[in-house]
Amino acid sequence: MEFIGEVAAWFGDPAHWAGRDGIPVRLLEHVELSGAALLAGLLIAVPIGLVIGHTGRGALVAISIANIGRALPSVGVLGMVLPLTLRAGWGLGLVPTLIALTVLAIPPVVSNLHTGLREVDRDLVEAGRGMGMSGPQLLWRVELPIALPVALAGVRTAAVQVIATATIGAILSTGGLGRYIIDGIAAQNQPKMVAGALLVMLLALASEGLFAGLQRLARPPGLRASDARVPAASAA
Amino acid sequence: MRQFRMLAVGATLLAVVITACTSGDGSPSSQPSPSSEPLPTVIVGSANFTESAVVGEIYAQALEAAGFTVERHLYFGTRETSQPALESGQLTLMPEYIGALAVALGGEASSDAQATHDTLQALLDAKDLTAFNFTPGADSDGFAVRSETADQYDLATLSDVAEVADQLTWGLPPECSERPLCGPGLLEVYGIDISAVPVENLNACSAAMAEALDAGAIDVARVCTTQPQIAQFNFVLLADDQGLNPAQNMVPVVTSALAEAGGATLADTLNAVSATLTTDALTVLQLEVDVNLQDLEAVAHQWLVDQGLL
Repeated sequence: MEFIGEVAAWFGDPAHWAGRDGIPVRLLEHVELSGAALLAGLLIAVPIGLVIGHTGRGALVAISIANIGRALPSVGVLGMVLPLTLRAGWGLGLVPTLIALTVLAIPPVVSNLHTGLREVDRDLVEAGRGMGMSGPQLLWRVELPIALPVALAGVRTAAVQVIATATIGAILSTGGLGRYIIDGIAAQNQPKMVAGALLVMLLALASEGLFAGLQRLARPPGLRASDARVPAASAA
Repeated sequence: MRQFRMLAVGATLLAVVITACTSGDGSPSSQPSPSSEPLPTVIVGSANFTESAVVGEIYAQALEAAGFTVERHLYFGTRETSQPALESGQLTLMPEYIGALAVALGGEASSDAQATHDTLQALLDAKDLTAFNFTPGADSDGFAVRSETADQYDLATLSDVAEVADQLTWGLPPECSERPLCGPGLLEVYGIDISAVPVENLNACSAAMAEALDAGAIDVARVCTTQPQIAQFNFVLLADDQGLNPAQNMVPVVTSALAEAGGATLADTLNAVSATLTTDALTVLQLEVDVNLQDLEAVAHQWLVDQGLL
């Protein structure tokens, strides 16, 4: 009980809400770092997922390679790329952390996008083809809208993993909420460490909420049981 | 390949045995009087890290060459396990650090190595342990810069770097601001305010710290003074000229029973070895084992040969 009070006192201290090491700055850094890594992961994973999901070819190879990202410990990636990025003059912790997080973000996006696209009812695809749609048209107008909720579930998983793992950047002097955890451990300041962990947890939950909402919005109107409207997007 | 390695190991062992046999009667150093009893067995331990193990092995090989029988328990563990083992006689020789051991036994350590050694010996007396001469080299907390930076600003000591502290980026561990011998000590003794200089947070003595210094992401790094990367990257270690850090010279601590039975031969052998172990020597020995991945026994053997002790 006493310890909970210490953590609460840590949050209550105005000094922890201001300046370079204040909660608003660290929170923003964490969101920026996670957001950038997630974006980079999407830029790589989405084209791969679209191609293997649409064509059904190369899935085993692509997903196997992407899954290496799941198997590699992020701290290991950090250690592996640090000497290279230092040689390249890209500063200390930011680029290695971004790379480690990007590697982590790719696998769930690739595999969920692939699964979502493959699970689209073949009758719908055939109907589209019968209407004279080209491959890309089929992908954009039939397959992707139906696969979107499953694909977004992958992004949601990736986002939570990235937000939680972005803390390791603090080992290499990167900002973000990991600073509170790493600095708290180093100085044996447990309230600070726990406060950092709580903030990361809250951010991860917020991201869960955001993506759950997006997933609900992304369900194609035509597939909603309660909604019989014809999808407006298919009119073009 | 495996056969070759077996051969190499065999050859090394043979070489050690032959050296041990031959120098037993031909060494110029002081000898036990012919009438004395056979030399006692020495049980050599070491802490669970490379520096302690390689120094333990060097003492072990030197003692074998002087005619002692040696039993090895290198990488025995942390001080929490090795110290009770030494006090109970399960180990009879441990390479130790004067400041750290003095503090662990409830004493105080200063930057004065001789004073710290005296303090340590007084504490060891109560436990029937004896510390022989300490090494000139010390594994303490320190700061290093690239050699170009040292040339550019003419840096040799921490007092020198204090003059240009705010023009350099410092690599410091996150706990530095709270450790009396890091942030507060730098401010009090050298007037370096770590909250007023550019800082990157990295673990002290880590390989990442050394890599960052070498690549120029930081200019001053918190290091351990015998960290192998100092030799690997040719860093310049800044002297602690105002004596901020307690002395951490190495010292062989033995049971008083062994010290008595080993007599002058033991003392002379250990002191001769210790005299060669400078800070540079400790750094290079670790470089050979940890970075160049050389065999620990071979590195120890080569060191003794190079120093003319084998």
